[in-house]
Amino acid sequence: MSTLRNLARRKLRTTLTVLGITIGIAALVVFSSMANQINSLVGLGAEFYDDKIVVTDGEPFGTSPMRLADADAIAALDGVAAVDPRVELLWESDLAIGFGIPDTVTGSTPGADAGHDTVPLKLATGRMLTAEDEGNLVVLGSTLAVKHGVVAGGSVEIRGEAFEVVGTLQSTLTAPDTTALVPLRTAQLIYLGDLPPLVAESLVAEELVNQIIVYPVEGSDFDAVAGAIEATIANSATMTGAEFDETVGGTTAIFNAIIIGIAVISLVVGGLSVINTMAMSVAERTREIGIKRAIGGSRRRIIRELVGEAGLIGIIGGLIGLTLGWVVVLLANDLGRSSGTVLFDLTPGTAVFAVAFSTILGMVAGLIPAWSAARLDPVAALRYE
Amino acid sequence: MMLLEGRNLRKTYRLSRRISLEVLRGVDVDIKAGEMVAIMGPSGSGKSTLMHILGLLHAPDANDGPAPELKFEGANVTRLSDGKRTKLRAHKMGFVFQSFNLVPTLSALENVTLAAEYGGMKSSAARRAALETLSWVGLDHRAKHRPMELSGGEQQRAALARALVNAPTLLLADEPTGNLDSSRSAEVLALLRRLNSERGQTTLLVTHDPAVAASTDRVIRMTDGLVDAEPQLALAA
Repeated sequence: MSTLRNLARRKLRTTLTVLGITIGIAALVVFSSMANQINSLVGLGAEFYDDKIVVTDGEPFGTSPMRLADADAIAALDGVAAVDPRVELLWESDLAIGFGIPDTVTGSTPGADAGHDTVPLKLATGRMLTAEDEGNLVVLGSTLAVKHGVVAGGSVEIRGEAFEVVGTLQSTLTAPDTTALVPLRTAQLIYLGDLPPLVAESLVAEELVNQIIVYPVEGSDFDAVAGAIEATIANSATMTGAEFDETVGGTTAIFNAIIIGIAVISLVVGGLSVINTMAMSVAERTREIGIKRAIGGSRRRIIRELVGEAGLIGIIGGLIGLTLGWVVVLLANDLGRSSGTVLFDLTPGTAVFAVAFSTILGMVAGLIPAWSAARLDPVAALRYE
Repeated sequence: MMLLEGRNLRKTYRLSRRISLEVLRGVDVDIKAGEMVAIMGPSGSGKSTLMHILGLLHAPDANDGPAPELKFEGANVTRLSDGKRTKLRAHKMGFVFQSFNLVPTLSALENVTLAAEYGGMKSSAARRAALETLSWVGLDHRAKHRPMELSGGEQQRAALARALVNAPTLLLADEPTGNLDSSRSAEVLALLRRLNSERGQTTLLVTHDPAVAASTDRVIRMTDGLVDAEPQLALAA
């Protein structure tokens, strides 16, 4: 109580110190949230690829058509438990380069994975698609639902056609948020329309896919299965979990290291500003410390008092910094959601760490000047102006 | 009974590697319990330093001369650890300074309470004792005010209450009236006198003011780090 009173009676200094910590901690919160988000994106990607092999055609962008018959050929291979042939399309017909994950439309046959997919999607409203669904029906990812302002029962326009929204998904803060799920047949028709007329002429919509997700039998050698697939299907490319980790994981690890580096810098800068302010504030109080020592305040008591104050400043600064960082994260995610770019994920662990760090940093920062102040000769400290 | 006995008290301050200042050059001093003693002398005569040593704020130098000795209530306190000296200051001594030295962020009551807590009282008892002492110095109506809201005389009375709250064996006052006008000065001096006569408070005060010195039982005069030969001895010889 008296600690709080001491702080309250030094309003300007306390305010400035708290402000310094607040900014450091807010930066820490924001950058850590960004690192969290990237981690979970990579983590989800790795999880997505973990139990499957993704087969695309061998072209550089992997968007040329394959045949549904290829899926049947793969299904017949040894070690393959299930196949899920899909059509993956961009929501917009013209490829707009934007930051973050573009909105996509995925056509697939519900249940084709035969229960092998381990990344579950949860409904926010309505229902999932079933194998019986046909036509312009869609289940929207959470970001898309917010962007178009619809829930189950509403309708959206995709590629100039009205789609009935049968369900919307809960937020995952990752790729499914910007994905629209439609029946395979529906996607096949759009896909055919996308192809150059010369190519399209010779094709039939219901035979088209551009991605085949293969679930190997549990415990089988994924590389061997991938090899067999590439041998069977001409011009195909496969991606396994290990390959994903290597290519995508490697790049994101560097990006992640940069973000964490920024967080560490903001941490160090915040930390130094706390130490600096604490040292200044103790220096300002040299005379007061001299008085207290002269009238019988023990060194330990003086240190305890100063460290207590520093810790309290740390807690207050940490809490305000956390709040500020949280507001920034919420606003940025809100803004980002409309363009499909959710960049931040503030986890409880990050929040607790930020406040604990600020408190401990405050105490440590206070301890050093408190220690030296308590060792001052009281007479010399009394003369200090 | 002797409350304080000091022998061969010396203090040299090293100002730099080459320059050092010999402030006390071997002083013997005795203070009897119940005495009110003034230390007088020109600036730089070593009177404040002597008070700091007698008040256990500083330890006397032990090198370059006969071994110093300082006894407080019969116990040798010459070379005590900082912790033990701090404890003795908190429990047995009260300090009053020329520039009052109240903690600026604390009210008069909180300043006095703090000293009582240092003296070992629990916070509620400390607060009660503080209020009582403040009322003894006539400042109970200003107890909630902070130092900057008090006049010089009021501040010094608050400082006196802080010095007295633990019923110290020894009260040490360094120029207690030095920053006060004559009527405030007389007020504080009257309180000190009353303490001595009513409670038998042993009081040691450093002063420039002959009027203050005149109201004490005995004057120790100092020049250049030494105690002057006492005139009454000269008269007796």
